[in-house]
Amino acid sequence: MLNIKIGKDTIYPTKIVCLGRNYLDHIKETNAPIPKEPIFFVKTLNTLVTDGNPIIYPNILYSNQEYNRVDHEVELAFIISQTCKNIHVENAYDYVLGYSVFLDITARKMQIRDRNIKLPWYRSKNFDTFSAIGPRIVHKSEIDDPHNLDIQLEINGEIRQQSNTKHMLFKMPEILEHLSKFVTFVAGDIIATGTPSGIGPIQPGDVIKASIEKIGHISHDVLLEKMK
Amino acid sequence: MKLGDHTITPTKIICVGTNYMDHIKETGLEIPKEPVIFPKTMNCLILNNEPIIYPRFLYNNRKLNRVDYEVELAFIIKDKCKNVPLDKVYDRILGYTVFNDVTARKMQVKDIVSKLPWFRSKSFDSFAPIGPRIAEIDEINDPHNLNIELKVNGETKQSSNTKYLLFKIPELLEYISKLFTLEAGDIIATGTPAGIGPIHPGDKIEASIEKIGTLTNKVILEGE
Repeated sequence: MLNIKIGKDTIYPTKIVCLGRNYLDHIKETNAPIPKEPIFFVKTLNTLVTDGNPIIYPNILYSNQEYNRVDHEVELAFIISQTCKNIHVENAYDYVLGYSVFLDITARKMQIRDRNIKLPWYRSKNFDTFSAIGPRIVHKSEIDDPHNLDIQLEINGEIRQQSNTKHMLFKMPEILEHLSKFVTFVAGDIIATGTPSGIGPIQPGDVIKASIEKIGHISHDVLLEKMK
Repeated sequence: MKLGDHTITPTKIICVGTNYMDHIKETGLEIPKEPVIFPKTMNCLILNNEPIIYPRFLYNNRKLNRVDYEVELAFIIKDKCKNVPLDKVYDRILGYTVFNDVTARKMQVKDIVSKLPWFRSKSFDSFAPIGPRIAEIDEINDPHNLNIELKVNGETKQSSNTKYLLFKIPELLEYISKLFTLEAGDIIATGTPAGIGPIHPGDKIEASIEKIGTLTNKVILEGE
């Protein structure tokens, strides 16, 4: 089992499930159709880094013109508090421990290439350090309405993404109801709720700051992977 | 989780798609230039003799009511590794086991056609039976010369040999470890041969690989 310390909480996630296309402004910028039900994919645990640790830009992406675009995506994540399956909307919050800031780093050119030849989305999302989370888990009781929080991402002090969680297409109760039809969640599992518009590339040397109102911010330097 | 005499604590399951030529032909997919990989999550794992649960909302929906078996050779990672060179691959492998990559086929086909992730069709609880044991690496001289077979209710549905793997274990581990750090206990399933087909509640599925053993699982409808 892998443990990860976020603020003063230690969690033992077994999976990270991410929503795609869950903000209307982001759907428009990608020219994707509006989904009728949540679109989700998974990130594996090798991707996790906590606040202050670097995001590593893989050499095999950086040195290949077909793959050399890696993007930031700031997201609101929620953490599961106990084992659950087939949850109903009205009981969803009984299974939520709290909220955190999440960065879904994505090898964009690789993702687009894979999708266009009908391959899985997996590898472009799952390089080591491609899921930043933190700086703490805000207990659900501390936030009255998680669907009314300003969400923002800055690179080197310049704002790149700026929105509010009220623009989420599927809200957390619907997300948990839908996902828990498929998989059993256990305490510590992480669900990231999708990114607003403004996605764009990161480069080695950048400092990324991702923040959500009432939760805080995470800050990460982007480093090029060292070759042995 | 306990597999025979071994206890492993996997953090991820990585599956290889379209890795037997006969299966590539039956699906009409293109021959991949590099391994095609996708994940399954821990909630999928079940052991020998535990039931595969057929989700009711697939069963009750004509657009989704096909769930398939896929027998595969899996290998288990021995210790944490990244960027493993081809000639060091077997130092990082604990052993081999039988794996059944159960797949909600109609859902997968629908998602592939719409360029959506493959994840949900592969990720239902109990959709990754594994076992009955881990054959340690020195028990098997050549993992690429093992008969592999799957029976449904005693009738052979898949029958092939691991020598037909397109990407062999060394190439797979070299490739995957370039992308991700692997941890002790992580599971890599190497793909399925031809003969994939549906399972139904009440079926008995027996997946076998020579020198490893037989993984047996009954199919039950969710809630029964």
